[in-house]
Amino acid sequence: MTSATIAVAPGRPGAPVDPVFRQIRDLVYKVCGIFQLEEKLYLMADACGRRMKQVGARTPREYWDLLTAHASREAELRQLLNEVTIGETCLFRSQPQIDALRKVILPELVQEKNKQVVKRLRIWSAGCSTGEEPYTLAMNMLEESDHLLKDWTIEILATDLNDRSVETAKAGIYGDYALRCTSEYFRRKYFTPAGEKKLEVRPEVKKLIAFSRLNLQDDSRMLFMKGMDLIFCCNVLIYFDGPSKGKVVNHYYSNLNFGGYFFLGTSESLLNLNDHFRLVHFPGTIAYWKPSLKSGKL
Amino acid sequence: MSPSVAVDIRERVKHIETMPSIPTVFLPLLELLNLPPERVKLDEVVELVSYDNTIAAQCLRVASSPLFGLAKSPESIKAAVISLGLRKVETILLTCCLGSAFPTQNWSLDPTVFWRHSLGCAMVCRKFSEKLATGDGDKAYMAGLLHDIGFIVNCIAFPKEFSAAVAHASKEQISFHEAESAVMGFTHCESGRALAEQWHLADDMIRVIAHHHAPEESDTAQPLIALVHLSDLLCRMRGMGYGYYERNKLDWVEDPSWSILLKEHRRLADVDLALFSFELDEAAVEVHELVSTIFGGKLRS
Repeated sequence: MTSATIAVAPGRPGAPVDPVFRQIRDLVYKVCGIFQLEEKLYLMADACGRRMKQVGARTPREYWDLLTAHASREAELRQLLNEVTIGETCLFRSQPQIDALRKVILPELVQEKNKQVVKRLRIWSAGCSTGEEPYTLAMNMLEESDHLLKDWTIEILATDLNDRSVETAKAGIYGDYALRCTSEYFRRKYFTPAGEKKLEVRPEVKKLIAFSRLNLQDDSRMLFMKGMDLIFCCNVLIYFDGPSKGKVVNHYYSNLNFGGYFFLGTSESLLNLNDHFRLVHFPGTIAYWKPSLKSGKL
Repeated sequence: MSPSVAVDIRERVKHIETMPSIPTVFLPLLELLNLPPERVKLDEVVELVSYDNTIAAQCLRVASSPLFGLAKSPESIKAAVISLGLRKVETILLTCCLGSAFPTQNWSLDPTVFWRHSLGCAMVCRKFSEKLATGDGDKAYMAGLLHDIGFIVNCIAFPKEFSAAVAHASKEQISFHEAESAVMGFTHCESGRALAEQWHLADDMIRVIAHHHAPEESDTAQPLIALVHLSDLLCRMRGMGYGYYERNKLDWVEDPSWSILLKEHRRLADVDLALFSFELDEAAVEVHELVSTIFGGKLRS
């Protein structure tokens, strides 16, 4: 069969989308908790199109059968998700998360922890890939260091399974694509030029972050990640099967302090993996909260 | 709020000349559309809508917009009703009716932002009500559409004080009702109640308007008010708020409305609230488009 006969998905916004892709979207949510908005459905259709070419599925319906009935369905679903989330990473990817953090959560945490002798905030970027997320967090913390976080110690732990990603993250050098959401203000304040069209994160930002390699399924090491106030784990859990995912989330719950928050990706949900976390909303984003001890309904 | 403030609000609402009068077709239309679908007579709906030229014209304009995906622009109200289906027509009609009741000059609020929130809340109320299988989605829709009409009263009857409250809210990033309490000493809940009573709306609606920020304070209709309260909060969290950042956290379980609703609808415990909010983002796009089509122009945020 030639590639011309393969029904490749429409790849532009607003184009009619085969209803099968909507079914696939719902399946992805049911299995992985990642939701694709109707207006972004064409991205899902695109990703399916690429996978269909790879596996030789001629129609969306054939591909649906592969995702639901075939013996290798889980592996294929993971491949598809890889396609869906590919290239999503950039600095300042989710402004609503940053706003929630700076405008609502930090004031709440600072007030809560002000009574403690040691004024310290611990943040963990779990599955930090090439470092975009922890650097975004560090820069935003530095922005608060003269006001809300004056005299506070900030520790950011950034871990990833992949050695090469961790090395790239440590270097902190980014091109236009990774910086597409970074404002001029942040570019000037926290970066220095590093070769053609590249910028490197300044040392004072790097100083806040400890990078290391960590396998989230390594129970003994997970037990040591204690005393976190915030955990970010965006688009990482999708790569685990149900039971492993549940185990990792339970670890996160123990790793967090009471009153701490756990963030997933923008359109990602915890489904029913953990009954202790409480779903809370902030403008434009959701998070999972480990209720503080004074909150009556633990 | 002291009793004297309540009297003052009622007096002001009664005496202002520009106070909106409820459009003649609004209440009969509402009554008609609240009937079970099989008992709604298309001809009666068409007759009512045609009664008011402005509304009829506005309906046709909205029905012809790309939003509703009709292949051909409807030439008559009847054609519009038939091709769009009653549910969509209802949305268009009620919004046009209410929209035309209020002058859009000199608002302290951007009217499109106001209607986007009201219509958004109406839509969320209906969807929420469907999730809980309350069996009364239309009533919930109406309650959502009307819950904030007190803002219109404030725009017209208390323009100076309300402008100050609006400015205070966006500067401090707090909710309007907190800002109103701080600046004016009363909120849109009290002024909305005065208008709702003057319009002789049903008791449930009056209670929604009066208590949607504290459903537990109402003697009756608590589940409906709680549903509107949570839908209102959810709208403000998912891009259908009042166009400024509200420093707010919605913690479902901690909210008294949660317990009120849960007592009435055990299904609530099983609703996937994350998925629900993602779905609302999709519906929000439609609401934005609908409001732009009805009121024209670009939305501010």
